[in-house]
Amino acid sequence: MRHLLFLATRSAWNRRLTLGLTLVSVALSVTLLLGVARVRQEARDSFAQSVSGTDLVVGARTSPVQLMLYAVFRIGEATNNIRWQSYQALASHPEVAWTIPLSLGDSHHGFPVLGTSSAYFEHFRYGSSQGLALAAGKPFADVFDAVLGSEVSEHLGYHLGDHITLTHGMGGEGLAEHADKPFTVVGILAPTGTPVDRTVHISLEAMEAIHLDWQSGAPIPGFSIPAEYVRKFDLTPKEITAMLVGLKSRAAVFKMQRYINDYAPEALLGVLPGVALDQLWEVVGIAERTLLAVSAMVVVVGLTGLTAVILASLGERRRELAILRSVGAKPSDVFLLLTAEGLCVTVLGALIGVILLTLLTALLAPFAQSHFGLVIQPEWISVEEFMLLLSVVGVGLCASLVPGYRAYKLSLADGLTPRL
Amino acid sequence: MRQLFLFLLLAGTLAWAGDEIPALDAKSDYKIGDRLAQPASSSPSGYRETGWDDLLPKNWDPMKELRALNLGALADADPRATKVLQKMRELWDSAPVEPSLRGERIRIAGFMVPLERKGHQVTEFLLVPYFGACIHVPPPPANQIIHVLTSKPLKDAQAMNAFWVSGTMDIDHTDSAWGASGYKMKADVVTPYKEKR
Repeated sequence: MRHLLFLATRSAWNRRLTLGLTLVSVALSVTLLLGVARVRQEARDSFAQSVSGTDLVVGARTSPVQLMLYAVFRIGEATNNIRWQSYQALASHPEVAWTIPLSLGDSHHGFPVLGTSSAYFEHFRYGSSQGLALAAGKPFADVFDAVLGSEVSEHLGYHLGDHITLTHGMGGEGLAEHADKPFTVVGILAPTGTPVDRTVHISLEAMEAIHLDWQSGAPIPGFSIPAEYVRKFDLTPKEITAMLVGLKSRAAVFKMQRYINDYAPEALLGVLPGVALDQLWEVVGIAERTLLAVSAMVVVVGLTGLTAVILASLGERRRELAILRSVGAKPSDVFLLLTAEGLCVTVLGALIGVILLTLLTALLAPFAQSHFGLVIQPEWISVEEFMLLLSVVGVGLCASLVPGYRAYKLSLADGLTPRL
Repeated sequence: MRQLFLFLLLAGTLAWAGDEIPALDAKSDYKIGDRLAQPASSSPSGYRETGWDDLLPKNWDPMKELRALNLGALADADPRATKVLQKMRELWDSAPVEPSLRGERIRIAGFMVPLERKGHQVTEFLLVPYFGACIHVPPPPANQIIHVLTSKPLKDAQAMNAFWVSGTMDIDHTDSAWGASGYKMKADVVTPYKEKR
């Protein structure tokens, strides 16, 4: 057996170029498969991480999934706002323990700006019921105060006391700026691994103030209101984008949801975050499964290539195998030799694939976080990924049986009696 | 030819294996309004198997105040009918709980509506008696909802999956204008519900 292994390695080394390339293709396909599985898992985890302790998300009537996407994950834009009176009516409802108003639409260097109240710092929960913590400074108190998410301050290099200007809409910098009304950074939040990190927080009053002279949809000359006069205006918000609601009793959530959905003065929608997330995965699930199936097919292609290479090598190894047979190797030894070769390449490919994936996630994690808000932790393989790897190796084994069997069949007579 | 067939078989196996991993998206066989078959009261593990009807107080009669009305005489569009419906809803929303259930160790089957998640695991949910409760049809009365806290997080659970929940019942009082108190449960064991056939 040991001799056989030695011979197998030497023989493989002799064909290192073709086998090496096959190894690369298997490794890459495994990386792709695991990568797709991991991104899918991480996306789910980071979405589920983003909201906790909230019983209902309330917004204008739209799809529940879309409401969740824009209100909680800051993806996409709101279809409509809800009136401030509706917010007040719900906030003062006897079943409601707390509410957080959310006003979205502006941005700062591509980071979303959120207008909210001090309830945000008090009641907002993420992960396993963790509250927000300030890494530095304090929550906003004055109209032109801003509190930055950890990533905003890190990415743009802001410190307490810096002045920033916000951009109207979600466009890039240098577009319609609220340059006449700069904000002061008064607080920076600790990292959370949620969309909060990518958000600039200001008060609802500030949101109202920067849009005072935008009544016609664009700043019109002669209508601009300098920052120092803004406080003379009534800064009570007229509208907000959405609100988070916490109830006194979580079991009352269905009653409250019905109350919200039947609310006569305005068309509102209340969704349970957990249910909306499931609906989101139902929609995304189709694409996810397609992606996973495609990457599984890529692995099959890689392993087919492997089988083809070993099969093709049989032609040039006829003499080699014949000599092995003539010095006493049994047909079963020949079978083992070729199957082991295929299996070794598959296992090696899987291992290299895992290493490659770990390297890639470590390298690309900052990019994924800043561009997609997706937090990918470089972690060791999970149970699901291990099962995937096992199935790859299993299929690899099955695939290697083919050249093994063929060599077994041929080696009985072939090579010793060359036909000329 | 035979080898080609083998390859196709392999390709199929792997595609199937890749498809098998996300067991999360399994579609439910239940239709809106479906109830789970209710068990006979036998106690295999120290938990009393309980049906949803046992959660209603013995002497609670939601129709009591409506008896006086001759419902048969009302047409569908009759404003009085709408009023009666409204009245009924209010009664249901403040439906009383059965006080003797406090501290009882029970086992009950129902559909799960997730409240809190930790990663892809569910740690806190509401258990309701019929499929589609509360999302597609009016919510069940207050005494037909159980707020469950799990001791071990639930893996791979989706909204409206059916579960057996075993645990200790408690009654949660909230001082709200709607005046309802509700069932709360500390679950020891949560297992997927399987229809006995």
